[in-house]
Amino acid sequence: MNYVLHLCIMIGIYLILVYSLNLVLGFCGLLSLCHAAFYGIGAYTYTLLVMNYEIPFLLALFLTVCITGIFAFLISIPGLKFRGDPFVLVTLGFQIIIFSVLYNWISLTRGPYGIPGIPRPEIFGLKIDSIYEYFCFVLCVLVVVLVFLGILYRSPFGLALKSLREDEKAAESLGKSAYHHFLWAFTIGGAIAGIAGALYASYITYIDPTSFTLDESIFQVVILLVGGAGNLIGPTLGTIFMILLPESLRFLGLPDTVAANVRQIIYGGILILLMYFRPQGIKGDFKIR
Amino acid sequence: MRLLIQLSINGLITGGLYSLIALSFGLVYRSTRIFHLALGAVYTTAAYGMYVGTNWGIWAGIISGLVSAVILSLLVEWFIYQPFVKKGSSLGVILIASLGVYIIVVNLIALLFGNEVKMISSGIEPSFSLEFIILTRIQIIQFIVSIIVILIIWSGLKKSKFLKVVWAMGDEPQLLEVLGLPIFRIRSLIFILSGLLVATASMLSAYDIGIDPHQGLSAILLGAVAVLVGGIDNLWGWIIAAFLISEIQSLAMWKFSAKWNDAITFFLLIFALLFKPKGLFTSERRVEER
Amino acid sequence: MKELKLKKVGKCFKGFWAVRDVTARFLPRKITGLIGPNGAGKTTIFHLITGELIPDKGEIFYGEKSIKGLHPWQVARLGIGRMFQDIRIFKNLSVLENVIISLQTPQEETPFYAFFHTKNKKKKEEALKWLEFVGLKDEWRKKSEELSYGQQKLLALARLLAGNFDVLLLDEPIAGVNPFIAKKILDMLRELVEKYAKTIVIIEHNMNVIIEITDWVYFLNEGRVQFFGKPEHVLGAKEVKKVYLGFTK
Repeated sequence: MNYVLHLCIMIGIYLILVYSLNLVLGFCGLLSLCHAAFYGIGAYTYTLLVMNYEIPFLLALFLTVCITGIFAFLISIPGLKFRGDPFVLVTLGFQIIIFSVLYNWISLTRGPYGIPGIPRPEIFGLKIDSIYEYFCFVLCVLVVVLVFLGILYRSPFGLALKSLREDEKAAESLGKSAYHHFLWAFTIGGAIAGIAGALYASYITYIDPTSFTLDESIFQVVILLVGGAGNLIGPTLGTIFMILLPESLRFLGLPDTVAANVRQIIYGGILILLMYFRPQGIKGDFKIR
Repeated sequence: MRLLIQLSINGLITGGLYSLIALSFGLVYRSTRIFHLALGAVYTTAAYGMYVGTNWGIWAGIISGLVSAVILSLLVEWFIYQPFVKKGSSLGVILIASLGVYIIVVNLIALLFGNEVKMISSGIEPSFSLEFIILTRIQIIQFIVSIIVILIIWSGLKKSKFLKVVWAMGDEPQLLEVLGLPIFRIRSLIFILSGLLVATASMLSAYDIGIDPHQGLSAILLGAVAVLVGGIDNLWGWIIAAFLISEIQSLAMWKFSAKWNDAITFFLLIFALLFKPKGLFTSERRVEER
Repeated sequence: MKELKLKKVGKCFKGFWAVRDVTARFLPRKITGLIGPNGAGKTTIFHLITGELIPDKGEIFYGEKSIKGLHPWQVARLGIGRMFQDIRIFKNLSVLENVIISLQTPQEETPFYAFFHTKNKKKKEEALKWLEFVGLKDEWRKKSEELSYGQQKLLALARLLAGNFDVLLLDEPIAGVNPFIAKKILDMLRELVEKYAKTIVIIEHNMNVIIEITDWVYFLNEGRVQFFGKPEHVLGAKEVKKVYLGFTK
């Protein structure tokens, strides 16, 4: 039962990640390969705030969102001057830079040694300790995030994003600035990924840079590509599929050293087959440009 | 101070290798517009091809490295890129498929050979010293080979009809079909050339610092950065950018340490693109104009 | 009312001058035609006005303000709108949404507004009004890619009109549509100028249309303005006849 709850918590955290990436990839049509970097910035920011400065949970969460959002904003200022390949390369670069910082700036992040002993959240004296309590907690946060994103999706802002995704030139001829709208989307998407990072840190109570690599960014993109981006159902389908996939592989009984490589090979295969036969995913609104 | 000079010279030598990678990536990117991430797999394959072949001597190693790289390069073009192009897939879709190829090949190699670093050469490399500068034999070879290859490509672009066509493809792909030139045959030749170039860089580096299955991506991303920073239309821009990146990395190594190399490369990219989005050495003005 | 002016505008593509030394005034509340053979530079001029291309030479003014070098979205917000030759409606959005998008103001499109606005019935009503103007009111629920070619052109027109632009740049607005819809569009253009005080610039190949609705015509050839004047005069001119008919008589 605990195992099932664990899976559900991870699915919940991933849903937050994937829906925030959906804002960038699905609604703006931008292939961002640095979402794990925001995930990581969120996790480390939260951890350092809580452990070094003993800031209470809610305030730490709020600050994490703001700080991660600022990073997202800063990277999108140069990045969004491009589309297509140069944009992907810039996000890739940002991902590698952030990972490098998390891994090498040992005095700040303890690098590959990681940070253990992260306390579980405590809200107004109520400590969220057991796995069942944490599951309910993640569920609440997920609902808040989804409602927030849902309002955005259905707003004039969301419609403008969709029009820019459909045909950027036509939308711009109507007065919509792709640069400014995408800037907002990217910043908000990154900030929400920071929430997921904070949740992850306080759940696992240990973080190290290997959870926030390029492979992780690619994994999140694969989820969206599989399930379909740009609407509300696709990301959930993709997340459930991709989280359950490695778990089911576990039952094949592969030795650990081999399992990671095999899993990657399967992801690679999924990518190629998906792009060839069904680029819009299981239930997506559009295909990658 | 001496350390700085030594590092700068090392940077010059690595710059040569980076140039080869940039040429390899850039020729494919400019002519076919494909963001050839799978090139990282070709890079790794060349290194492991050499590793296997060296069991029968160094020349066997070199040949097997080149051959394996070219074979993979062609396989990717024939069985992945061409089907996608014929299907009319967008470039973003092909980029992702290319990434998929990279992931599969690299992890297959890891399954076959293990995830750890392996060395090709055993023993210590003989080194030569000029005043206080020390260079190993392999470094000298790296530099000489790189320069020779660059010169061959450069003169080839001026004289060879093939390379002129390759360059023109990037501007007007439809025009070539109209002129009756066999596009797919030309593309195959491009991928052969690309495979040879990246294999050269890979093997030169492998002999020096060893091989591991996961070094491919950051190697070719460096090439991609050099191409974009240099300006997609400017072959010399790629080469200059490659040397620039290498020198700045050396400078950083002098002040900090090698572990920041990757971060520096991309910092440079973002910095350069911020001020000159079309590349440092081009003169076009608006991205939309392309 | 502001006048759209081009002064000695030139645009060069790798040594080839697509547009050369073009000076033109698009008078307010008039319909001006741009004619000329294919490749003469007409669409390029539209690109230069809207900011998709930057002129290499010359100036472009809207009123007193120079608009050279502005981004397309900035030019649009000044009140210059355009309809594309290849229509470019938002295929995955509904017919209604295509028009609503045009009605949304920049302030309404920020994320903040999403949380503080009330569900806007007025927008839907206004969008339906424009759809009715072009005769597409009954299709408002459909996905726009389900419309016929002619209907899509009408939708693009409705979207453009909803944007409340003062200047409308139309690139072959009736090409490829049946005569019934074509007449509808032409009547609409007249109404726009007379009733709604718009300024229209229209690229057209159909000489009957040019004579029928334009007030002034510019004839472009090989990137230059070769003739300018009233439609009857322009179409009678030797240069124009030479290009279209291959001889002078």
